[in-house]
Amino acid sequence: MTSSKNISIRDLKLWYKDAQALHGIDLEIEHNKVTAFIGPSGCGKSTLLRCLNRMNDRIPHCRTEGDILIDDKNIYDADIDVVQLRSRVGMVFQKPNPFPKTIYENVAYAPRIHGITSDGPKMDELVEYSLTRAGLWNEVKDKLQEPGTALSGGQQQRLCIARTIAVKPEIILMDEPCSALDPIATAKIEELIDELKKEFTIIIVTHSMQQAARVSDNTAFFYLGKLIEFGDTRDIFTKPKEQQTEDYITGRFG
Amino acid sequence: MQHTMKRFDEEMVQLKEHVLSMGGLVERAIGHAVQSMLEQDEKLAVKTIERDRAINALEVQCDEMTRDILVRRQPAAGDLRFILAIMKVVTDLERIGDLAASIAKGMIQSEESPPRNFSNLDTMGEKVQKQVQRALDAFSRGDTDLAMLVIQKDVKIDKLYKRMYRELLTYMMEDPRSISGSIILSDAAKNLERISAHATNIAEMVIYMEYGHDIRHVDHDAAAKILAGEDI
Repeated sequence: MTSSKNISIRDLKLWYKDAQALHGIDLEIEHNKVTAFIGPSGCGKSTLLRCLNRMNDRIPHCRTEGDILIDDKNIYDADIDVVQLRSRVGMVFQKPNPFPKTIYENVAYAPRIHGITSDGPKMDELVEYSLTRAGLWNEVKDKLQEPGTALSGGQQQRLCIARTIAVKPEIILMDEPCSALDPIATAKIEELIDELKKEFTIIIVTHSMQQAARVSDNTAFFYLGKLIEFGDTRDIFTKPKEQQTEDYITGRFG
Repeated sequence: MQHTMKRFDEEMVQLKEHVLSMGGLVERAIGHAVQSMLEQDEKLAVKTIERDRAINALEVQCDEMTRDILVRRQPAAGDLRFILAIMKVVTDLERIGDLAASIAKGMIQSEESPPRNFSNLDTMGEKVQKQVQRALDAFSRGDTDLAMLVIQKDVKIDKLYKRMYRELLTYMMEDPRSISGSIILSDAAKNLERISAHATNIAEMVIYMEYGHDIRHVDHDAAAKILAGEDI
């Protein structure tokens, strides 16, 4: 077990009923790096992302085999507390989905239920810290009691990132976090990703090849439920080893 | 395999055709420049100098097409390497055009005291023209073996130039009246040597285009190691 890598995916297979969606994925994801998952729709990239905090458990008839080790502990072991796991492995979704509560509450909710921080000055501090890390503090510090849903799309997405950061996760999963955002809001999120990787391990699923090239250190290309190629993002986008990767990133798939 | 976006394929083909027609003009310019010198044909020299303008215009056109592809297609992987290679190749071709025109200008200057002995200029001209032809063929076909041949042969061109330079030096020492003619010839040989160096640059970009390996500024052994995928 190598300690410099903090997520090891070993021969991971997944079925939705009889349809196999992942065919034995082996992947080592590096700590404090941004890893991008790319591939055409239905290639299994989002499915794999959701395995990393066991979101697929909620899908009926979904069955997995294989191991996902986070810090050498298999997250599919029987003694794993899934709620605890999800506080270690946070997730940001495609569409910003703030709670229908105030901006403050959006951030304070999870640390309170996880018992990380109790209300009061400590919580105020955590809310400020999280919003600052998410690059949103200056825009919302005077309206913390306003509803989170009143913010713009880009701000809502950063609020969701602040909400994720608030429970101090080790890993942040992002499932197409910018697909509903305009280019300026997208740039802000990308800037944030670059900043956040100092503290967190980030895995991002994206349909935008340019986004993967811009934000990630490593890129994994999936096709038909298989990992085709994984490597340094610069190599993947300038000299991929596999023909299928080349065809996909140059727009020759069809 | 074709791009899903067919227009992208067409643009790439067009760009390549432009580069190759620029290459064709450049090849002819070298041949004519050397011929004008050997035959003391001023008309041919003037024609060669004028042709350089067409080469320059093609360079500008290629750059515009390259820029459009970068902006509109954001090429990646093999496409990106192809575009990067073209940006360099076009610059080398334009420089070769300038060098050929310089040889032709030298011919016009030498008219009053033409060189009495052309030394190995004809052989060197042929060999250098062949270098450029090989480099362009290698580029056109993505032929890395041919590209490696160009790189290896460049050493011989260097030697040929040095030998010719020494020979011209002895003429000048023997007979001071041959100095101006010999200097013009020596300049022409130097220009041919530079042309071969540019052909080598093109060959190196063919290697980059095909494999993604940068073998510029390394010796032959190191280049072989890089191509074998070893660390150097």
